[in-house]
This record gives sequence, C-alpha cells and structure tokens, in this order.
Amino acid sequence: MGKIEWAMWANEQALASGLILLTGGIVGVAGQFRGWQFAAYAVAAGVFVCLLEYPRSKRSKGTSVERTGQYCFTVCVKSFGPLTRNYYVRAFLHAAICVPGGFMLATVLGCVCLGIASLIYLAAAIRGEHWEPILPRKAETRKPPESIKKPPQNPPPRPPPEMRKKRVDDLEGAAYDNPIDVTANE
Amino acid sequence: MVVSLRSWVANEGGKHLVLMLWLGANTWLFLKTFLLYSTGQQYHYLYKMLGLSLCISRASASVLNLNCSLVLLPMCRSLLTFFRGTHTVSSRKTRRLLDKSKTFHVACGVAICIFSVVHVSAHLVNVVNFSVSYSDEFPALNLALPGITGVLLVLILFLMFTSSSYCVRVSNYEIFWYTHNLFIVFYIILMVHMVGGALKYQTNIEAHPPGCLRANQSSAEQQGKELDQGEDEERRCREEAHFQPHYPQTWLWVSGPLCLYCAERFYRYIRSSHPITIVTVIRHPCDVIELRMLKKNFKARPGQYILLNCPGVSSFENHPFTLTTCPTENKETFGIHLRVVGDWTERFTRLLLPQPRMDLEILPMVQQRRYPNDGWTGFRLQRLYFVWVCRELQSFYWFAELLCALHHKLWQENRPDYFNLKLYLSRTDNLQSMSEEKYRPLTSRLLVGRPRWKLLFDEIGKTNKHKRVGVFCCGPKGISRTLHRLCNSARTSGTTFEFNKESFS
Repeated sequence: MGKIEWAMWANEQALASGLILLTGGIVGVAGQFRGWQFAAYAVAAGVFVCLLEYPRSKRSKGTSVERTGQYCFTVCVKSFGPLTRNYYVRAFLHAAICVPGGFMLATVLGCVCLGIASLIYLAAAIRGEHWEPILPRKAETRKPPESIKKPPQNPPPRPPPEMRKKRVDDLEGAAYDNPIDVTANE
Repeated sequence: MVVSLRSWVANEGGKHLVLMLWLGANTWLFLKTFLLYSTGQQYHYLYKMLGLSLCISRASASVLNLNCSLVLLPMCRSLLTFFRGTHTVSSRKTRRLLDKSKTFHVACGVAICIFSVVHVSAHLVNVVNFSVSYSDEFPALNLALPGITGVLLVLILFLMFTSSSYCVRVSNYEIFWYTHNLFIVFYIILMVHMVGGALKYQTNIEAHPPGCLRANQSSAEQQGKELDQGEDEERRCREEAHFQPHYPQTWLWVSGPLCLYCAERFYRYIRSSHPITIVTVIRHPCDVIELRMLKKNFKARPGQYILLNCPGVSSFENHPFTLTTCPTENKETFGIHLRVVGDWTERFTRLLLPQPRMDLEILPMVQQRRYPNDGWTGFRLQRLYFVWVCRELQSFYWFAELLCALHHKLWQENRPDYFNLKLYLSRTDNLQSMSEEKYRPLTSRLLVGRPRWKLLFDEIGKTNKHKRVGVFCCGPKGISRTLHRLCNSARTSGTTFEFNKESFS
C-alpha cells in the first residue's frame, strides 16, 4: 500500500456528508420535527461544508482532475490562506460542525459521516498533506524553432545541412546552390 | 457532429435497450408496492397512522431489494467470461453487451444510493408520524425501530460510495478495493434488517373489514336517525383486528446472487493458488519489462487479460495486464508487457531483475505469432489497421520485431493490404530515427504528430464501403471519447464503425 493520498478520499467523504447533512436538515425543517432548529442549523452547515469541500486539491504526484466549474470556488477557498491549506484546521472544523447534528434523528447520519471524514482528514494532516489549489496553467507561447524561420536556399533534391556545408568549399559541387538568396521579405 | 442512425444503433442501441428494461422494472416495482400499501386492505390501519411516507418507504425498499440483488451479477467475471466464450452467446451484439457489465453495476449502485436516501427520509417521517399517532386502539401495531441496522447500512454504503469515484480509483485503487469489500458486511446486515418484524399487516380482513364499526360505536353521520338493522350488521366488526409481522423478504432477493458471487470469488481463489513459473524476463526501452510465464492447463485467447499477484511484493494486490502472447498448441508460454509506473511494478521489477548493467540486457529473440501459418479462410477479418501512438521513439521497439515479422510474412503470402500499420510519434521536439535496416517497414510508416482521427476514419470508410469495421481502443479517456464520437457520426460511405474499448479502472 504505497503512498496513499488520504486527503482525496476525505474530500469525497466530506462533500457527501455535507449533502447528507443538508438533506437531513431539509427533511427535519419541512416535517417540522421536534428540535427543528437543529435541522435548520444542519442545512446551513451542510451548505457551508459543500462549498468548502467542492474544490479539489492538486495531487502531489500525478494529474489532478478538477470538478466542473470549481475555479471560482478554488479562488474563494484559496483566499483564506493557511486556514484552508492546513488539514488539521479542517479536521477540527468538521469535528466541531458535526456535533450539533447529533442531537436530532434526522441529522444524526450526517453527523456520523462528517465525523468519519474529519478523522480521515486528521490522518492526512498527520502524514503531512496539505491543500493546493488547482490553477489553470498559463498558455505557453511557443516560439517556432530557429530552423523554421530560414527557408531553404536551394530547390529539391536537398542534401542534409552537413553535406551542404561541404559544398561551399567545393565550387563545382556547389552548382546546386541558388545564387540569389531566398528570404522571407520578398 | 451529425450522428448516423445505423452506427448509433450498432454502438448504443443494446445498452439503451437494457437501460430501458431496467428502468421499467424499477418503476413497475415501485408503483406496484406503492399502490399495495396505499390501497391494500391489510395495510389500512397502518396507512392511516403513517400516511404517504409509509408507501414511499416500502416502495423504495422493494426497489432496493431488486437493485441489491442485481448489483452483484455483473461482477461475476469468471462466469461472464465463460458465457462470453461459449456458443450459447454466439451473437457479437450480446458479447459486446457483456463487455458493458461494469457500467450496469455502477447504474445499480447509484440507484441503491438514491433510493436509500428516499427510504431513510421516508422512515424519518414515519417515525414522527408514529410517535404523533401512537394508537392505543391497536397496540399490536407499535413498531420497534430496526434503526441500528439501518444506520450501519447507510454508513457502510457511505464508505463504499465515496471511495468509488473516478479520481479515488485512479489515484488510490487500494482504498476503493478494500472499502468495496465491505459489501459482505453490508449484505449480512441487510438480511437481518427486517428480522425484528417491525412491519405488520392485518390478517383477519373478512372478520374485521377495515373501517368497520365497533360494538359500542355508532357512525357519526347516522347519529340520531333510525338505523337500518341489516345495514348496521354488515358494518359491525365481528372480531378485533389481528396483526402479524411480515416475513422478511430481503433474503429471498439477495441470497441467490450473493451465493453466486461468493462461489465466484472462491473459484478465483482456487485458481490463483497454483503458482506460475517465470520463464523469461526481457527488459525493453522506456521502462517496459516483458515477462514470459508458464502455467499448467492455462488457456487464453487474444484480447484477454490476467491478474498478477506477487506475495513477495504485496499479498493482497492483484494487478491486471493484457496478454501480449497467448499459449498455443505448440508453445505453452504466455507473456505480458508491463510498464514500471507505480510502486508495485517498481518493487516487482527489482525482485525480478538485478541492478541493470549494460551487458546484461537481453534482446527479444523470437516473438509469438497469433495468426495461423497458412489457411486464412475461416477468419472473418478482411483487413487490419493498426494505429499506434507513442510519445517516444524507443517505445516502438517493444513490438518492433513482431510487427516487422508479420509484415514480411504477409508480403510473402501476397497479402500486402491485409495489415496496414500507422505509427505516430506525439512528441514533436528532439526528433530521432530508427536506424536499423531491419526495421525499415516501421520507419517508412512512422508519422510525426498526433493522428488526425477524422481523416483516418474517412479514409478507412472510403476503402471499406458498406462494411462493418470494429474499432478497438486502448488508451486514455481523451482518445477513447474522440473515437467513440467519430464511430457514431454520419458517414457517406455507409460503413458502420463498432466501438469497443478496454479499461481496467
């Protein structure tokens, strides 16, 4: 079991837990269950967790696949700096968020799932992982290599450059060389 | 891109038909159970107590039963391979459908997740309704919560689902594999989920029609009026309502496929317990190792793959590799080419080969031929186009001998157009060339740059009008998607392109 990136799995779990918390909260509020205030809290907490966990981190080794439309979320999450970069902070944050969910039946599942995600984040943090934003690479301007700018001086058949150099010394063999230079300006 | 109807039907028709049948079965089951609980006489009192959420929870439970039983069947790979190879499945369409078994498994899995959410939400509402309308008239109806098993089931499903996304599978396959093997715990808990007998139905409907009046009650609208004796008698209850718990049904659905899958895993384990002998190890350029092995009574056909397990590296990891050499009647060895690209392959190679020194490199000597020496009749294949895209020139050396040998053989047999080779080098800087004279057939067919698939397809279409061309893609998702789209698109030449791809993740 080589180098496993636990943070990636924790991210999927936290996103799913956020959705479960949100669903449980909506059911609790819509059904006007006893303790529906906890359900209302769960709706808000679920939305917050989903927004925080939506942008995927860049993998330390290998290609990172980003979620659709995650760029704006990446920018928002990146702006919090070390608070979101560090996984210890995330682990404790999720542990704290999940506690009030445990007081109501509708949200208890979301609470347990988020608790599991928080434990996995703790494991990731202990192993030294951190969150890296996936930013789009600037398009590299590719300059054409030098040889393309200079068009060939003589018509085909064209010997390779090494042999052409030799012909300059040998005047008879240089009969192929074009007396008028062919340049791009003409 | 305009889609061609004929190609679309050839490529997508079967899959969509199975999808429609499966959706139809789920819908029918959902509606049937829903109507049973909302209109059935034996559930009348239960329905009055719990309302619509009862019907939704029971209907989603029956859909869950169906999908939990179906989800295991596509994973019986040995069984599917057996069916695929026999003459019972002789149609190519059915074989191609069987190739899509993993997609069906994913569809059933997603349905299980969605309906679990519906089921749990409906039960939450049930719990509230139950505590609100706890009935003193019918104490036997009181439900004991099978909550603990339900919570455990959802937790296991949560672990399995979150680790099965594409990016987790690609980056850390072990997390996916080990959590997915929790399915056995899931099924055991599922079968005891309803053992408590929480759901009850009324047994004595004739003696006590639901809604009948008790001896000391009178119906509200007839108070103060003269009651007709006969009518009154009919509506009186002759006895109290009796309730009986439902016999748990889940095991009926699930036990068959579960036993089949366990037998399948046992069979795989038995087969894998016989060790194989490694005959040759050959090092190729660009970190590729060719392995030739020997195993008793091993039969394989071109296109199949094997799973390698090396206890010296890791006891539980099995890695798939496509066979590049199959055992024939003359030669029993089979071979794979593996690329050293992860920790398992690195450790495996280090076990196989000592530290590299230039004089120890073994060049490949004889390659196995997959086609017969004479007698080309009896094979439906009329022409083969082989398109190979590599990033580095050295990679072509992996199969250079085989390709040149095949080319020469076909040339000798006067079939030069049977095998059309196109090699593409996708890295366009630092160009090199293959200088060996014996690889001349390759160098003259080598093109620099990525292949232009549309032009290739047009050319193949024009030269094979009104024929069926099978496209076999092995590569990254980008190429696979492009080829799939091109196979489905409209063509003036009337050629049908059937798309197939190989993927392990």
